[in-house]
Amino acid sequence: MTARLTAPDRLARLLAVVPYVAGRGAVPIDEIAARFSYPRADLVADLTDVVQYVGVAPFTPDSMIEVTVDDEHVWIVYAKWFERPMRLDPNEALTLLAAGRTLLMSTGDEDDSPLFRGLAKLAAALGAGNGAPVDIVLGAAEERSRAVLRAAVVEHRCVLLDYYSYGRDQRSERVIEPHRCFSDDGQWYVGGWCRLAQADRVFRVDRIHTVNLLDEHFDAPAIRVTAIVDPSAAEARVTLDLAPEAQWVVAQYPHETVQPQADGWTRVTLAVTARAWLERLLVRLGPHVRVIELSPELGDTSSEDTARRILARYQASRPRELAGPEPHKGPTA
Amino acid sequence: MTSKLERLMNLTAALLATERPLSADELRGRVDGYPDADASFRRAFERDKDDLRRMGIPITIREVPHSDPPTQGYAVDRAEYGGNDPHLAPDELAALHVAANLVHIGDRPEGALWKIGGVVDTAAGAPDTANAEPLVALPTDPNLAPLFHAATELRVARFRYRDLDREVEPLRLSFNRGHWYLAAFDRTRAEERLYRVDRIEGSVQLGSARAFARRPASDATPQLPSWELGDSTAIRTLLLVDADQAAFAAHQLGPETMVERRDDGGMVFALSVRNVAALRSFVLTFLDHAEVLEPPTMRAAMTEWLSAIVKGCV
Repeated sequence: MTARLTAPDRLARLLAVVPYVAGRGAVPIDEIAARFSYPRADLVADLTDVVQYVGVAPFTPDSMIEVTVDDEHVWIVYAKWFERPMRLDPNEALTLLAAGRTLLMSTGDEDDSPLFRGLAKLAAALGAGNGAPVDIVLGAAEERSRAVLRAAVVEHRCVLLDYYSYGRDQRSERVIEPHRCFSDDGQWYVGGWCRLAQADRVFRVDRIHTVNLLDEHFDAPAIRVTAIVDPSAAEARVTLDLAPEAQWVVAQYPHETVQPQADGWTRVTLAVTARAWLERLLVRLGPHVRVIELSPELGDTSSEDTARRILARYQASRPRELAGPEPHKGPTA
Repeated sequence: MTSKLERLMNLTAALLATERPLSADELRGRVDGYPDADASFRRAFERDKDDLRRMGIPITIREVPHSDPPTQGYAVDRAEYGGNDPHLAPDELAALHVAANLVHIGDRPEGALWKIGGVVDTAAGAPDTANAEPLVALPTDPNLAPLFHAATELRVARFRYRDLDREVEPLRLSFNRGHWYLAAFDRTRAEERLYRVDRIEGSVQLGSARAFARRPASDATPQLPSWELGDSTAIRTLLLVDADQAAFAAHQLGPETMVERRDDGGMVFALSVRNVAALRSFVLTFLDHAEVLEPPTMRAAMTEWLSAIVKGCV
């Protein structure tokens, strides 16, 4: 820690340190410094020069905090007003509980694990009765996939992924060197070096069809891939006019410009990472979207071709035949 | 010369010790280290008060009893100040510490950890996670903490949602597929509802504590899919998803909705649909790898939409 602590920074620590030390006998100074991120010199100075002199007017001895400091230890025998630590505020309580519940969910710890016990005590102390009023469900990625990936990350072993690329609407097999498995915004991802693409890639775990651990090891990476695709890095752009019914697009996708139009529609420019993504968006929006401009690499992407392709499937299958084997296997684009 | 730290700590002690609100002048007499000039004292006192408030010390303002003219007085309610220390065993504290390092929700809760016993080292064999990248990052929202406060202390919450003013008894917060949800009993509609926290308009207002009886939130899945939200009669709809995307669809729809697994790996899901447009939009995300099988009206809704696009572009 290099930044100098301000008086409020030090007070926040002291209000936790005093109740911690009080009644515990001799507590090593180094331990307090580590627990409360309190630089040792500041801690010793504050205990001897400040805390000793804290009390309530008229400052009779019985109102003062009794502090003893030697080279290694601190004793506080009478903390009076500061015997209890400050109450956790709602934000702190929520953060701790949610973090704990999340870890519990993702590691599947047993009911008698320290984390489980700690959370139960925390919930009870907050007055939340049995069970904290917080529930966390992370992406429903298959447990098995995550277990294999986690093992691969730890052991530096390659995996063979059978992966469905949503952006390209294609399924493919690829070998990756997984660097990290993580969750962001409710979805699980694995990041690593993709040997097929010869580039760093991030994959969504719920789009992994199968994952197999290979015997081959890889060298521990210097930099671990963790960035989720940044759409703005894509080169292709599309400009759309959106009807009021299609406003959710503005809320859901990163956009570069938004201009309200006189007729109540909205003009937006979006970065396009993959053509199938745009096809999908256009066919979902149907009459609620007008394509104003497409960058050249997107060719003549239109909802018409996509709609025709899907419609062909409906025309090929008759409702009464549906009990039989599916006559139509979806081709990949 | 008294340091600012000493002055702040003595001010805190004075406010905690008093049985009645103390005026600024009384505090000036009891706490060393304030400037002599009235104006400088005022400024310093206001700054100190702000510092303590920012740290979360609950300073209340009430009229000093029998003061004439009436004077504002200050105090800290001792029950409000402390009282929810969970008394964690060392291994429990260490486990929570690891959780706070690996799961990020807004700011790292270092101050919270101090209050429950400090940041413990992980010499006990746990992995060193202090500088680890987060395993999980959850989004946060300014209304989350107030709603959590309301759910733990049984306070009624008022907020605006979908253009209506709501008065609810908050029961539980849940995070599911990228969003925070509040399960609450809606007093006006007299039933339990689910609200997406990021769609609450403006900020939440809280009533006083213990305003309703604690009860569990129902175990209904927190997030109903968009096609189940609607006022029309539910229509049972069968959706076929091809093998390539069947596993992905099962994750999205919940394995319990799967009613048939075909030899080629495709799966049929039974969905309860109240909002046809929402279902159509979902089904189209599969492009031509999915198909509505039944009922005919729902198939027609798909084909009519697609035909209109084809015609419209010709």
